[in-house]
Amino acid sequence: MGKESKTIWDRLEDIPREVLYGILIITFIMPMLFPIGFPVPISPEVQRWYNFIDNLPAGSAIMIDFGYSGGGEPELGPMAVAVYHHIFRKGGLKAITMSTSIEGTLLWDKAMAEINPAQYGRQYGVDYIHIGYITGTETAMAAVGKSIRATTTTDYHGASLDSFPIMNGIDNAGDFSLLICYTTGGDQSEGWVRQWYTTYQTPYLCAVLAMMVPTMLPYQKAGQIVSLVSGAQAGQMELLVGKPARGIKSADVITMTHILCLVLVVVGNIAYFGKKFSGGKK
Amino acid sequence: MSVLVKRTIPIAIVFLTALLFLCEFFITIPGIDFKSTATIVNNWGIILTAFTLGFGAVNLFIFHGRHISRRTKGQWPFSLWLLIVIILFTVVGVSTGASSSQYTWLYNSSYFALSATVYSSLGFYMTSGIYRALRAKNIESGLLLIVGFIVLARNAPAIAAGFPPIIPWAAWLSAVPTTSAQRGIMIGAALGALALGIRTMIGRETGFLGKLTEAEKGG
Repeated sequence: MGKESKTIWDRLEDIPREVLYGILIITFIMPMLFPIGFPVPISPEVQRWYNFIDNLPAGSAIMIDFGYSGGGEPELGPMAVAVYHHIFRKGGLKAITMSTSIEGTLLWDKAMAEINPAQYGRQYGVDYIHIGYITGTETAMAAVGKSIRATTTTDYHGASLDSFPIMNGIDNAGDFSLLICYTTGGDQSEGWVRQWYTTYQTPYLCAVLAMMVPTMLPYQKAGQIVSLVSGAQAGQMELLVGKPARGIKSADVITMTHILCLVLVVVGNIAYFGKKFSGGKK
Repeated sequence: MSVLVKRTIPIAIVFLTALLFLCEFFITIPGIDFKSTATIVNNWGIILTAFTLGFGAVNLFIFHGRHISRRTKGQWPFSLWLLIVIILFTVVGVSTGASSSQYTWLYNSSYFALSATVYSSLGFYMTSGIYRALRAKNIESGLLLIVGFIVLARNAPAIAAGFPPIIPWAAWLSAVPTTSAQRGIMIGAALGALALGIRTMIGRETGFLGKLTEAEKGG
């Protein structure tokens, strides 16, 4: 059987994956090395998130779940960092963090090193604390909602919770004005709705991976989540907070790679119809 | 083991635990404190989950230790590597503390980097997949192409900034078709979970008890 020569439509319709991968690598490396500074519009969800924290009265306590894993850190880490900047800059808020992900404590250390709370005059145990990784996911959420001290008596370094001023008068979900969850898992993002919003009506801000957003949308539309954002929107939060960093840098990469995908879709369809109308496809 | 130990007692424990949490959420009886009992049982759950993490590690040692001792072809070097990594992380974590610079370095330099790399590699498959899948071959794939094109364009910050009408189009797609379909899936799954919960509670669902004979399953 003789080998048929490929037409231009055949070649465009079936570009080898190695070529696609090569183009993709160049497309995302270039804006990382040479930032373009594409405009980044602020979406209503990010603005709502920012406004909610901005309007919290002094003395409000916030429960923060570092529920993401290392794989999701490049997407969710910049969002968590930007929000902490906002909380610390505003001041007068109590940021109490726990982790429903086993890697959460290590990723929290990483975030704190990036933020440097001391630049805002914030102190561990006074303005912020981490009470550690608590196993059980939804069981942990339910238990902490009922009583933090019945669940754990120490922070994640092993020091007694009662030795920290931030924990004065804080023990259950009723003591919190806001719940924030950063997660790569549906168990966590949906679990907090079931265990805290449904039971205690705690206002809930949720940041998830971009691909998880459709599964969480019904909760936001039902009013159970104040604002649902994806980690890919971290650049917008950084602009609002005035701390451009990793998120805004990745916004250029997101724009470039999405444009590449759109171009590839157009090329693929032109090739498909070109082949069809030139008689090469039934 | 008798039916009493393998079936009746576990089902009784599940029934009573589920009943406690139902009462705690739905019922208030003066003089009966469901909340503090539920708190205790919740904490038992956390302790049990922590125990299963340790139990899982022991199970890994038994499973992979067997592969190493039998020199299972194509498997034993990976099993050995896995056990070396578990031991290394455990020794460093226990001796220096989980927030020590040594443990953090170990995590950041190995697991974190690998985990982020593996997740990032999805981008390559997705690009190739989008190029091949979004073709207007018929009406259904044409619709998928239009929706995919709008959402892709919306998610690129610069395109949304340069062509603002794309924002309400994508918002409508998220708010109406996506949310409607997702709600249907969620409500269906929730009803299924509810039915499964009730069946488990009354002992009609015995999957969680492991392998039972027909006589042990009862009726």
